Amino acid sequence: MPWPHLAAPREFLAANEAAWVTLSNANYDPALGKALYDRYISELVEAEELGLDGVVVNEHHQNAYGLMPSPNLVAAALTRETSRVKICVLGNALPLYNPPTRVAEEMAMLDVMSGGRLIAGLVVGGGPEYYSTNVNPTDARPRFREAVDLVIQAWTRPGPFAFDGEFYQLPYVNPWPRPLQQPHPPVWIPGLGSPSTITYCVEHGFGYMGVAYYAPPETFARQAVAYHEAVTASGRTFDPELLGWLTTVYVAETDEQAVEEAAPHLAYFQGTLAAGFVGPGKVWMPPGYIDPPALVQFLADLRGMVQGQRPPDAAAAVWKRSPLIGSPKTVRERLLTYVNELGLGTVLALLQFGSLPADLTARSTRLYATEVVPFVREHAEKHFAAKGWE
Amino acid sequence: MTVVDRRPGPRPRTGPTRRTVSVSGRDVTVLRGGTGMALLYLHGLCDIHAVGPVDQWTPLLARLAASFDVLAPALPGYDASTGLEDFDDVEDYVWHLVDLCRELGLAEVAVVGNSLGGWFATELALRHPDLVARLVLLAPVGVHVRGVEVPPFFGAVAPRGIGGAGEARRLLFADPDGAVALGALPDVMTTEQQLLWFSGLAGAARLGWKAPHFQNRKLTERLGRVAVPALVVRGRDDLLVPEEAGRVWATMPGARLLEIPDAGHCLALEHPALADEVAGFLVGPD
Repeated sequence: MPWPHLAAPREFLAANEAAWVTLSNANYDPALGKALYDRYISELVEAEELGLDGVVVNEHHQNAYGLMPSPNLVAAALTRETSRVKICVLGNALPLYNPPTRVAEEMAMLDVMSGGRLIAGLVVGGGPEYYSTNVNPTDARPRFREAVDLVIQAWTRPGPFAFDGEFYQLPYVNPWPRPLQQPHPPVWIPGLGSPSTITYCVEHGFGYMGVAYYAPPETFARQAVAYHEAVTASGRTFDPELLGWLTTVYVAETDEQAVEEAAPHLAYFQGTLAAGFVGPGKVWMPPGYIDPPALVQFLADLRGMVQGQRPPDAAAAVWKRSPLIGSPKTVRERLLTYVNELGLGTVLALLQFGSLPADLTARSTRLYATEVVPFVREHAEKHFAAKGWE
Repeated sequence: MTVVDRRPGPRPRTGPTRRTVSVSGRDVTVLRGGTGMALLYLHGLCDIHAVGPVDQWTPLLARLAASFDVLAPALPGYDASTGLEDFDDVEDYVWHLVDLCRELGLAEVAVVGNSLGGWFATELALRHPDLVARLVLLAPVGVHVRGVEVPPFFGAVAPRGIGGAGEARRLLFADPDGAVALGALPDVMTTEQQLLWFSGLAGAARLGWKAPHFQNRKLTERLGRVAVPALVVRGRDDLLVPEEAGRVWATMPGARLLEIPDAGHCLALEHPALADEVAGFLVGPD
């Protein structure tokens, strides 16, 4: 749910270090904000009418990239505005809530209010969020995992019970309401390919949603291969629905038209809005949030990416980095490749990104929902059944 | 008549030796060198164990090693010191230093703490005055004066996609474009430099992250109990240790406050001749 009214990347970066943490909220105009909420929520509702399976909302703080510091509020509106789609909150940043039973409570509310349509995304929270909330980043990951454990227990164990953890100690855990879905709503976790996250998801039966907005598509393919290896190692049966890909999608009549129309808005998304965790400027990556060697690698990849962006190759770069931008035929074929080769069962399509305006979003979403999804869904169901995956 | 040569002495030909000491099951990297009375040096945010060159004394420490047996352990998370996840509060650091002193055979030792190390040195002296003979605090963090704003350290040192440690240098150095600043925090770091710096930042963040960064709220009212002779050195241009904080440090009963012109937070790097002042205080009369 981006703020679309900032300058294009070059101009923006000349005047600002990032779209996160320190970009003044004087840039936010509440009157324009009201129109944006109306528009974005309508687009999510429209997705149900077009036959998509679910809608996704996410949490970010103090930034122009995503205007949902509380995705649960938007999800609550969606429980009333929709009646069929899954409502995926991807997710609530558990370490930012103390106690995290607050998340167990709100998500249980959403599950009950929606009649059992919630998919519960649980996340560590992005690097910038740790600067914005002053939550200590050096134990973010163990704190997150303990909080997940607490939330799951809060949903599944009859209360009241005491929780005595390393980070959280609660004498009475007994949240009302409890979730409608039993034993609890599906849990999905987004990841950037860290082996420990993939293994963690597999071992707990959580969905793994690979995020690949800012990396070449082979990055996701590597994550998917690692996911399959982890499933095999665990002795579990692969469930395609639990392997997801979070990526930008734009569909137009022809490939050329799709690239041409999407390019400036993708550039705004990746160059302006993401400035702050990728890009040439400040990278709000707090100390201890990832291991130093991983941070060194992250920065090296980032520099390679930033320096690799040559304006004359912009169209080719879009094509190469965002394979789901094209004609219905192209997007279908590419998705089928992922289904066939990687067992991809869930696509979290970012159909509105950056400054993509309402008319282009609506047209692309309609083409995707009517000319891509039914075809891919039908093929995938047969393919998965033949493989013995349910 | 005796003529005292006040010029900085030549650096010792041999640098420190590096070894790993085990303290309560955790590794502590210790650099040691020099001859004379033992001196425990607790490093700072941008100092030995945080910025290169690895395994070499900084010019200040090289001068101190000319007349002291300098022991410079890396704080948890820094360099190859392990166990950072076990450190939750000031008490953990104090007990760690107590154990470390015992492991190194140190008692009634001269303690020099720079920046972050100055904070922990003070917390140690507060609780275990028997371990600390004299205390030198160079640009110590740890004291926060309400209403006096200090720029957020961790925002200034956040990495950048393309080069540029300029913001960090401007926060930390009096001369951010000088050779000392550029040597410590170059715009383009080698992998080794990055690993050292990022590891250290995690070490610093473990207790220092809580805003305003690097403070123990209770320290101000407790400083009156630090009775050991102490020398507090503050750079007049230190953005992390404002003038008001310097006045708070001076409330330690045995303290003398020395303010250095043209000096920022990294005065230990930019003003190595301070070693003479430090040495003079450590061996001088009470």
